Amino acid sequence: MAAARCWRLVLRVPGLSLHTAAGAAVTAPEVTGPDVAAAPVARYPPLVASLTADSKAARQRRVERWQATVHAAKSVDEKLRILTKMQFMKYIVYPQTFALNADRWYQSFTKTVFLSGLPPPPPAKPDTEPAPALDVAALRAAACDCLLQEHFFLRRKKRVPLYLEREAIASPFLDQLVASLTGLLSARNPALAAAALDCKRPVHFYWLRGEEIIPRGHRKGRVDALRYQINDKPHNQIRISKQLPEFVPLDYSVPVEVPVMNCKPDKLPLFKRQYENTIFIGTKTADPHCYGHTQFHLLPDKLKRERLLKQNCANQIEVVFRANAIASLFAWTGAQAMYQGFWSEADVTRPFVSQGVITDGKYFSFFCYQLNTLALTAQADQNNPRKNICWGTQTTIYAMKWMDKRSNKNPRVRSKSSENEMPDVEYCHVRNKVNSSKKNTGNQFCPSPALQSLHERTSLGHDVDERYTYGLESANDGILLKNLPLQA
Amino acid sequence: MALASGSARLALARPGRLGLGSCGAPRRGAYEWGVRSTRKPEPPPPDRVYEIPGLEPITYAGKMHFMPGLARPVFPPWDPGWTPPKFRRLPPLHEHPLYKDQACYVFHQRCRLLEGVKQALWLTKTKLIEGLPEKVLSLADDPRNHIENQDECVLNVIFHARLWHSTEDIPKRETYCPVIVDSLIQLCKSQILKHPSLARRICAQNNMLSTTWNRGSTLIQVHGSSGAQLNAKDPLPPIASREEVEATKNHVLETFYPISPTVGLQECNVYDVNDDTGFREGYPYPYPHTLYLLESANLRPHRFQPDQLRAKMILFAFGNALAQARLLYGNDTKVLEQPVVVQSVGTDGRVFQFLVLQLNTTDLASDEGVKNLVWLDSDQLLYAHFWCLPVVRRKAVVEPVGPTGFQPETFRKFLALYLHGAV
Repeated sequence: MAAARCWRLVLRVPGLSLHTAAGAAVTAPEVTGPDVAAAPVARYPPLVASLTADSKAARQRRVERWQATVHAAKSVDEKLRILTKMQFMKYIVYPQTFALNADRWYQSFTKTVFLSGLPPPPPAKPDTEPAPALDVAALRAAACDCLLQEHFFLRRKKRVPLYLEREAIASPFLDQLVASLTGLLSARNPALAAAALDCKRPVHFYWLRGEEIIPRGHRKGRVDALRYQINDKPHNQIRISKQLPEFVPLDYSVPVEVPVMNCKPDKLPLFKRQYENTIFIGTKTADPHCYGHTQFHLLPDKLKRERLLKQNCANQIEVVFRANAIASLFAWTGAQAMYQGFWSEADVTRPFVSQGVITDGKYFSFFCYQLNTLALTAQADQNNPRKNICWGTQTTIYAMKWMDKRSNKNPRVRSKSSENEMPDVEYCHVRNKVNSSKKNTGNQFCPSPALQSLHERTSLGHDVDERYTYGLESANDGILLKNLPLQA
Repeated sequence: MALASGSARLALARPGRLGLGSCGAPRRGAYEWGVRSTRKPEPPPPDRVYEIPGLEPITYAGKMHFMPGLARPVFPPWDPGWTPPKFRRLPPLHEHPLYKDQACYVFHQRCRLLEGVKQALWLTKTKLIEGLPEKVLSLADDPRNHIENQDECVLNVIFHARLWHSTEDIPKRETYCPVIVDSLIQLCKSQILKHPSLARRICAQNNMLSTTWNRGSTLIQVHGSSGAQLNAKDPLPPIASREEVEATKNHVLETFYPISPTVGLQECNVYDVNDDTGFREGYPYPYPHTLYLLESANLRPHRFQPDQLRAKMILFAFGNALAQARLLYGNDTKVLEQPVVVQSVGTDGRVFQFLVLQLNTTDLASDEGVKNLVWLDSDQLLYAHFWCLPVVRRKAVVEPVGPTGFQPETFRKFLALYLHGAV
């Protein structure tokens, strides 16, 4: 009885009416002493903030209720729908942009660290048999055939004018290159044989990162999250049904810091619009090929090298490639992770890995991206040590100028080893003009560290002369060969 | 006086004409008159000084500015020396360097033949055999050539093309038709592990084919690009044996009097007789293997009927084969020792037409002699219909999302045509 009296006294808290306390007291079952001590049953509803009040606590409770609906969603489609159904003004992030130093901005938007060079090769397992030797000559021949077919052999209806050259020549060349290399390399990588190849299919991603104080309007002074949307259209992409293995562990701490920009994204320039929030990897959620392998991008004429050099932006050439890679690959890996049910409050439990090749028809650069975290919102990022990592190479030239397009002689694409006849197309490895002052001619060259490491990784033992001639192929193949499920 | 131009000249020639005509409106036609808002203001009439004969008016042309008291100069009309491409008029057809008196009937990729396959057979001197040849069908039925989980893969391809590849609820034919053909080719290419000679092929698009031949007294040409084309390094082996080829001598081509065989073709006096395969010499993949013709317009009237599509397939395959034969064996008309074989697949995303054409002779002028052979498999459905949204009647799902009437046989034939020549 004493226990009961205490229990009644405890109930008389300010704010609660006698009526409710009494009601609760009546409804709670009479239990004996030991039972009450062992399993305390809640005798009153939990004390929570209001749902409808104009207070921070109420807002927090509403947000948590919404997040609970997302957690409780039964299917991925429903989850994505709840996450994207409310439309607000958001920044449109363009992967292929002319903005200066866009790669540092995009790194801050996506919490990405950029490391130059390609990621370390996976440790060779001792029990698996070594992979068959790479037939570089066949790959080189196939790549040359694609190049020559589009640039020389194919007779088109009209001579293609300069402003249409990229879309009429470089675009089918890239299509053919991807198709033929995928076919040739599928012997070494069975996942490539079963892969799905997409041509110019959209990739969309929507995410929240950071906060701002609304400057004007009826919500002036309130804190609002910054929303971003990427609507990308990669030229080609390869999708597989099994995920690529990770490059580095999920919680690998990179010593490099993510750049922090002190201005609003509007300064980039980045503009806001309100329209449909979409998350799309290239297919809908029901497709079994839901993991990405490689994306191929073709840069538009607006961002070509000659134009940037004329505008005195020689240091922006690499920036263009890097910004494109970071934005596109983040969008793709993020969308892949969301297709698996992860989101900012349910962070990824395994890293999502994809690769990218960015080109403008002549210069290629290779990128690898590992998504370690999707928790980029202000609330989720408070104690999040993980960063996304992007590895990338310098741009490498693929083939030098044509000697004479209209000559009736059959052009032969040759390596520089035999110099008897005048070559029509020469392979040459020329480093980016910004980084090297001396031009590489003849047999003198210095392969970039990325390619050198690749060469060592593929460990083919070719001599120095031929190293650059397969610069693209081995790099490209290296990437396409990467993560072959040797164990599977 | 001769220096004045345009309306001023007309005003001078017919001084009364600028005034109102009988009904009160100007007498010039609309083309000459032009829309009023775009008409340039007329130049002021020249000074009366110019009407005095024998007098040279003193003008302010040398002073380079207006001077009251001096006459207004009249300059000769300025000839810029070049015309912008926007305003260039083509020379009349007779002056074109390629003009010929004899008319040529050109078949291009939007020609719809009235009599369809019959007309195409007559134009190419071909005998039709229904169904694909046994050699190709045996490739289709051979279980060693099948991909593992082939039906499941093909169903995934159909789902991907018809539903998954776009954010829209119901993708349009213009997007799903090329996607389905590309995906099926990619699926066939996965057999490269078993047959490495599949790597000796390449796909090409937008190549301009042009071949001309005589059929009786009419000159017929196939000109244009046929879409995607698979080229190979090795030629396709001939299918019909010599006896079967000789047996076609007895076949009589079906005529369709009173319809002229050239109906539907474009009559043209400006043409080039030289053959063009669409590729320069030295191309490493010289032999055309398969042509893929897509009818991917959204609206049904813009798409070809199946019969017209089959006729187009026959003519383009024949054009490729003839250009190849002339390249290999010369321009003189003869019966070929090694017949040239070209395949073709035509589709609108759901219905497939398969074709194998064997060119036996380039002697096409007469109706007698050896004929060419074509094996045609028409109207092969891959699936009957595809529901993008489930059909719900009285809160019960009657038709789930997916294809109905799926026929795996069609993909086996597609695969067989792809593997033909490499197995």
